[in-house]
Amino acid sequence: MAVTNVAVDVLLAVGVALEAACVAGVLIMPTTFDRLHYVGAATTVPAFCILAAVLCREHLSSGGIEAIAAVGLVFFLFPVLLTATARAIQKTERRGGS
Amino acid sequence: MNAFVWAATGLVVLILPLLAVAALRRPIDGLVALELGGVLLTLTLLCLAEGFHRSFEYAVAIMAGVLSTISGLVFARFLGRWL
Repeated sequence: MAVTNVAVDVLLAVGVALEAACVAGVLIMPTTFDRLHYVGAATTVPAFCILAAVLCREHLSSGGIEAIAAVGLVFFLFPVLLTATARAIQKTERRGGS
Repeated sequence: MNAFVWAATGLVVLILPLLAVAALRRPIDGLVALELGGVLLTLTLLCLAEGFHRSFEYAVAIMAGVLSTISGLVFARFLGRWL
């Protein structure tokens, strides 16, 4: 039980720290395409760290499966969104930006 | 407060600078910040559901993930076409 608690704490800390790095990237990076890379990164490793922490507690109960569904949906749907956003950025910059 | 509630608090705090980006920079940069905010919101709701031991709140996290994706697509389409 103590090992599980430590694992949950470490996974949550790593997840939140990586999300903070992604937010810092969106704040600091010079171009919009660079910022978009950090949005994509936020849906991968940090999200799975938090999912792993939830699964340490819930295992494969209904809550655990719903957590897998939430992170899985974000992981698989966001590339579509990022592609659409990249197209919008390209169109905006071709017109001279707004 | 357990670890999950602390993590949710940290994730909510991370949304605040994104609000500043959405308010102050170009609209397309605001869209990028909005998308990252959607990810953070989904993970926050996931942490809160586990932290408060309310299993029905996982469905809220699922809906937040889906709806933030759809809203981002609508905004991307709008910005690409009209701005």
